[in-house]
Amino acid sequence: MAQDSVDLSCDYQFWMQKLSVWGQASTLETQQDTCLHLAQFQEFLRKMYEALKEMDSNTVFERFPTIDQLLAKACWNPFILAYDESQKILIWCLCCLINKEPQNSRQSKLNSWIQGVLSHILSALRFDKEVALFTQGLGYAPVDYYHGLLKNMVLSLASELRENHLNGFNTQRRMTPERLASLSRVCVPLITLPDVDPLVEALLVCHGHEPQEILQPEFFEAVNEAILLKKISLPMSAVVCLWLRHLPSLEKAMLHLFEKLISSERNCLRRIECFIKDSSLPQAACHPAIFRVVDEMFRCALLETDGAPEIIATIQVFTQCFVEALGKENKQLRFALKTYFPYTSPSLAMVLLQDPQDVPREHWLQTLKLISELLREAAEDQTHGSRRGPLESWFLFIHFGGWAEMVAEQLLRSAAEPPAALLWLLAFYYSPHDGRQQRAQTMMAVVAPCRRGDLQPCGQRHSPAPTEVARDGTPHVAHCPAKRPFFPRVV
Amino acid sequence: MESLLQHLDRFSELLAVSRTTHVRTWDPVTVRRALQWARYLRHIHRRFGRHGPIRTTLERRLHNQWRQEGGFGRGPVPGLANFQALGHCDVLLSLRLLENQALGDAARHYLVQQLFPGPGVPDADETLQESLARLARCGSAVHMLRFNGYRKNLNLQEDSLMKTQAELLLERLQEVGKAEAEGPARFLSSLWERLPQNNFLKVIAVALLQPPLSPRPQEESEPSIHKTPGEGSQALVHWLLGNSEVFAAFCRALPAGLLTSVTSRHPALSPVYLGLLTDWGQRLHYDLQEGIWVGTESQDVPWEELHNRFQSLCQAPPPLKDKVLTALEACKAQDGDFEVPGLSIWTDLLLALRSGAFRKRQVLGLSPGLSSV
Repeated sequence: MAQDSVDLSCDYQFWMQKLSVWGQASTLETQQDTCLHLAQFQEFLRKMYEALKEMDSNTVFERFPTIDQLLAKACWNPFILAYDESQKILIWCLCCLINKEPQNSRQSKLNSWIQGVLSHILSALRFDKEVALFTQGLGYAPVDYYHGLLKNMVLSLASELRENHLNGFNTQRRMTPERLASLSRVCVPLITLPDVDPLVEALLVCHGHEPQEILQPEFFEAVNEAILLKKISLPMSAVVCLWLRHLPSLEKAMLHLFEKLISSERNCLRRIECFIKDSSLPQAACHPAIFRVVDEMFRCALLETDGAPEIIATIQVFTQCFVEALGKENKQLRFALKTYFPYTSPSLAMVLLQDPQDVPREHWLQTLKLISELLREAAEDQTHGSRRGPLESWFLFIHFGGWAEMVAEQLLRSAAEPPAALLWLLAFYYSPHDGRQQRAQTMMAVVAPCRRGDLQPCGQRHSPAPTEVARDGTPHVAHCPAKRPFFPRVV
Repeated sequence: MESLLQHLDRFSELLAVSRTTHVRTWDPVTVRRALQWARYLRHIHRRFGRHGPIRTTLERRLHNQWRQEGGFGRGPVPGLANFQALGHCDVLLSLRLLENQALGDAARHYLVQQLFPGPGVPDADETLQESLARLARCGSAVHMLRFNGYRKNLNLQEDSLMKTQAELLLERLQEVGKAEAEGPARFLSSLWERLPQNNFLKVIAVALLQPPLSPRPQEESEPSIHKTPGEGSQALVHWLLGNSEVFAAFCRALPAGLLTSVTSRHPALSPVYLGLLTDWGQRLHYDLQEGIWVGTESQDVPWEELHNRFQSLCQAPPPLKDKVLTALEACKAQDGDFEVPGLSIWTDLLLALRSGAFRKRQVLGLSPGLSSV
């Protein structure tokens, strides 16, 4: 407790100084700085409230003699009042200062003053005299019309943005970059206020005519944060614009997904699919630029974890969701496959992107042989400077778990001598870095169990029922104990 | 029902008193009772929002109170002017009390405790606290947007501040019209006397250009009883036509384009507008030395403005445009049907309009046809 109290005193000094510098947040620098500290200041207010509510008014002033100044300064900063719950906590803090039984006129005056500050916070609608007189004359109080006014202002700004976006040549009606930047800063505390959604959407979608980014990074960060925490609901087009305009936001969204997957105890495929779909990333990945970034991050994750099966499973589920989302896209607006997989031959990409379920049974062997052939060609491409080669080809192949499953199934089901192409595929899937000899040996090693009917791959999606249960009878979960999925139950 | 109405009466009194120094005598018990009544009425609003008869009765009672306090012509509008206000009567009361520095220490302390009980306090009126927090937050939002992003829209009818004022005016007029047939006219006259006139005229123009009233967001779930769109606008037109000095000020103060839009939308105004323009035109005489039309007194409308307005009217869609041209031709004929400039202002106006139209067609790359003028 004593440590908390010391911390609070330190923080107090820090925030007192900050608030003095910020003033009414009327300049670019003060606005930016305020935006950066909004969440932390709210935390500080909460801690203050927890401390203050235990004390009576006199004790409060003994402990924090300048508390009234601190709170008053905060009230003059509209960014603070507009942020999340800060205005509420500020009010609670002020209430703690009220002296229940004032002993002298000074204390009484203080009470009056606090009442005035509370009233000020609640009457934040300050207008031109004319407008105020008019509304009063009609008998309306701000509480009657603030909602309508906010709506009108938001819609008017949103339509101005849209016009600015479409109206290339009419320089008179253009929104100046300063105004746009200012607007985006002002939206930072307001992101979680539903009334402001149309404006946020318009800011994201309408990017005006300047070649460089005008909107403030704090704005993008705040929107992204709100999207990840589900505190705002924006249409997909706006989210895609956000991620295209501000790369750190996209990266953060991916990291957020990874964190969710890691922190969740038992990850069955169903759960992984839920998390992935929930993140809106598959849908956004229909835009090739986003797909490439996402893919790159998966690649890094795979390399860092030495090919962890959890990552492979995630990639496979992601690709499944992605292909699904792609299928729903407007056919005319679709990008060419090459934009998603620039280092893969179009024929290979096309064949891999097919849904294995769509291929009629009679053609399975043929299709798999084709995949094997094309993949082998890419994997063994030793051309200097090409981006093909074993790792890239393997990375491509593991996206599509359905095919590896199908290979296993084919090998299991056919009584005849297993075709070399299929054996190669399976060996490659589990061990891409093997030299020729090593791979040949692996292939031989697989043949015997195939003949016996003992083969059970792990981490697959649509496995036929018999292979759902592991050899020792425990229900199969994608979370494999071994790090490397080298035929753990075969050898 | 009777007890409910009495409740309503007493709360209205309370609301009126809450602004005066009389609250000095209030103790915590009084404050508690006041807040309880407010909560009760808010509950009534929620409960009977859809219930036509009860809602109408309550509203009629409120309108009667208003009438008794001086009617729709005199005196300020009371705090509770319609049924809708009951939905946030607790906020209204709370704000009035908070603004009132005459409140005693004990009452103040109690009030603040009740309004802001803090997080997760059981039995507390959470909704009031949330409403107040929301008001603070949205107020800040409006303030920030106003000073950082808002720019006054030159097209007045699209300006959000103007629009909001216009919406409020129309709403009020509709209510007053419901309460009393002659209400709107008297109400408008009283507003004209009390409020800044320039702003008022602009709001009227914007109000006349609003699309028909749709139900307010809070009321979307409630049936629109008695809400015929356009009633407010009709009341405005009626009043303007009945008050020539107001209408003259209206036409003088507002820009040409805005007036043209208003007149197109409300054809009843066009004869009077044209009449005014004709009057203004007749006050000008031709100065031979300067070669221009001038007025005799300083408040006479100058040639440029007159020309401007006619030009704008000639760009309006057909019924109005034709009316204007016919009127101009008639005036020209009355004056003697001269073709030479400098003798009749109407001739000169028509000439200027024609050449302006000709130049415009040239600029636009159209054929130099004079068929339209």
